[in-house]
Amino acid sequence: MRSLMWFELKKMLSRRVAIAMNVGVIVLLAGVMALNVVQTKTENAAGEVLSGTEAIAYVKAEREAHAGPIASEQAAADIAAYQEAVFSEVDPDAVLQMTGSAVYSLMLETYGQEGTAELYDPYWTTLLNPWRAPGQEPAQTAALVTPVMSADWYGAVAQMTQDALDEGQGGMWEYSDAERSYWTEMQASIDEPIEYGYVGGWGNIIDCIAFLSFAILAVCVTLAPVFSFEYQSGADAVVLSTRHGRGRLVAAKILASLIWATVYFAACAVVVAGVSLASYGADGFWLSVQNIALSSPYPLSAGQAALVSVGLMYAACVGFSCLTLALSSRTRSTLSVFVVDAVLILLTGLVPSAGVGALERALALFPTCFSNFNMLFVALESYRLGPLVIDLVGMVAVVYVLLALVAAPVSIASFRRHQVS
Amino acid sequence: MELTFDRITKEYGNKIAVDRVSTKLGPGVHGLLGANGAGKTTLMRMACGVLRPTSGEVLYDGTPIDRMGGDYRAILGYLPQDFGYYPEFTALDFMEYMAALKGLGRREARERSLELLSAVGLSGEERRRIRTFSGGMKQRLGIAQAVLNDPEVLVLDEPTAGLDPKERVRFRNLIAGFARDKAVLLSTHIVSDVESIADRILVMRAGAIAMEGTPVELAALAEGRVWEAEVADSEAELLSGRLAVSNVHYRGNGSATLRYVADAPEIPGSAPAAPGLEDFYLYMFRDDAEPAPNARKMKGGSHA
Repeated sequence: MRSLMWFELKKMLSRRVAIAMNVGVIVLLAGVMALNVVQTKTENAAGEVLSGTEAIAYVKAEREAHAGPIASEQAAADIAAYQEAVFSEVDPDAVLQMTGSAVYSLMLETYGQEGTAELYDPYWTTLLNPWRAPGQEPAQTAALVTPVMSADWYGAVAQMTQDALDEGQGGMWEYSDAERSYWTEMQASIDEPIEYGYVGGWGNIIDCIAFLSFAILAVCVTLAPVFSFEYQSGADAVVLSTRHGRGRLVAAKILASLIWATVYFAACAVVVAGVSLASYGADGFWLSVQNIALSSPYPLSAGQAALVSVGLMYAACVGFSCLTLALSSRTRSTLSVFVVDAVLILLTGLVPSAGVGALERALALFPTCFSNFNMLFVALESYRLGPLVIDLVGMVAVVYVLLALVAAPVSIASFRRHQVS
Repeated sequence: MELTFDRITKEYGNKIAVDRVSTKLGPGVHGLLGANGAGKTTLMRMACGVLRPTSGEVLYDGTPIDRMGGDYRAILGYLPQDFGYYPEFTALDFMEYMAALKGLGRREARERSLELLSAVGLSGEERRRIRTFSGGMKQRLGIAQAVLNDPEVLVLDEPTAGLDPKERVRFRNLIAGFARDKAVLLSTHIVSDVESIADRILVMRAGAIAMEGTPVELAALAEGRVWEAEVADSEAELLSGRLAVSNVHYRGNGSATLRYVADAPEIPGSAPAAPGLEDFYLYMFRDDAEPAPNARKMKGGSHA
């Protein structure tokens, strides 16, 4: 069995297209991840634009300056301090009448470059986030927050989930009572106090996880000929007439395929995660995912969220591998197998949902759609299955495990029953 | 050891590729002769269990091969016509892969592979990639893989295609030595390949076995129907189009010796000649439109 698997791996990996695709995707991932680091930019307190590792170090220092648990009282006190600072020389009523850019200009004019930079620190943005309207400057939000409001900061954070449920994804999805309680309960399970801090490395992994779609595609290109090449080349006649041709060979093909899918996906994930953690730092694995988006109802740490994202992409990789094997076992055209894979993996990301909730939920199951932080952990994507509610994370896992469990036996049966004609 | 075809039939839609073939193959070389499209390849695929018959069955020592499954395939060797190789494999990789599929252990696989590669004249080429092989080398590799597991039943579909005369002789010797206690079914439309090594020949036509016998018996059927005549060079080509000519020998003096088969002499001055298997074959297939003696036709159908 081991030697059969070895030969199957050799067959798969000796094809020039497969070699080019596998090497090409690794190089592409390494390049994109490196470029991501190089292109990171931020402005320091003096107004200088920093880039690359300098920018990353600055952002990290900025967040670490306010690192620590955000207790309810602490949040209220810090908001009050912020209001005192920002409105020491500016009229709160006046900023509410101004546009965002006018407020920013006013801040610069009033507090200078360094003072304004301090007022735009992400810590304040995080604290004011529960009340922030789209397009609002921190000073404008601060002008609306009363001491009573800030005293219940965690209540305001919880209210963000309720507001999102009421808003129903811009009217696209009406949440059922079961869904509402599912998300409400999930949000309520977030540990308090949230600990503020730097999670750049883990956040970057989640931001770049979509690039692993190319790894899935490379795996599919490698696996597309596993069965179809036997039919196409006429080797099916000779292998199927051997003792193990309809038994161990099929098992060897599937196991070798899954081993390669796992090894290659792991290598690509190591590139994405390795460059992220090496460049942005591995700090903050256990800091809550709300450091990335306060409105996320998930009781996860940033590191756990990154692992979940990678895990879901791996599930998709295994699912698509099995689907590729099933398609390959049904046709002699390797190209048609690859085209189906490419459409499902890449082009589904370009299909508009046109505001149709059901379509949007169907599209969300494809890798290029679900592989972003907002979709997985913020957008409150849930599926109603009778009385059961499953979120996107669970649904993606279920769908791809089911796909693998259905598609693998299809490929086994198709090859075993294949007739040479 | 006996392989039995029991009223085996294969239909593709309205076309009948193999038509109720019943015969038994014991030890020895069984040549399968027939024109392209006669159903030889389809019959061989069914003998190997890679194509399911529409009706009828193939039995090995009385047990349907379908029921035997892997046990039957363990005693089978098969060289399909024009089968694909894995271009990036070396010859040794391919042999060891096939050995693994046939259930041979690693050490045995290596020893047997090297031995057979040598037997088919590929020693020294073991580490060469198959994509660099000529057609003849690939064919020899195919022959080597077919006998890797020392099969009881060896099915060879057009094994000599692409082989040069020296290789064909080598192949014939290999098979003759191999077939002493095994059943070898060998299809070809090159009559001389089976004439010297086949113990028995099955002649297929329109999906059915039209005739069977030893090469001598079959050749004898053309007795009194083989003629030789001296004709002018210019006439030879014209007559070749009209008659079933098995050979034209241009003598270089403006005349040619024409060998042909016909029920009666068609050229004045023709003399009877001793028949060979090739003459019989030509006589048998001189008119492909003529139906085989025991062939049936489906309603509205036609033969592939």
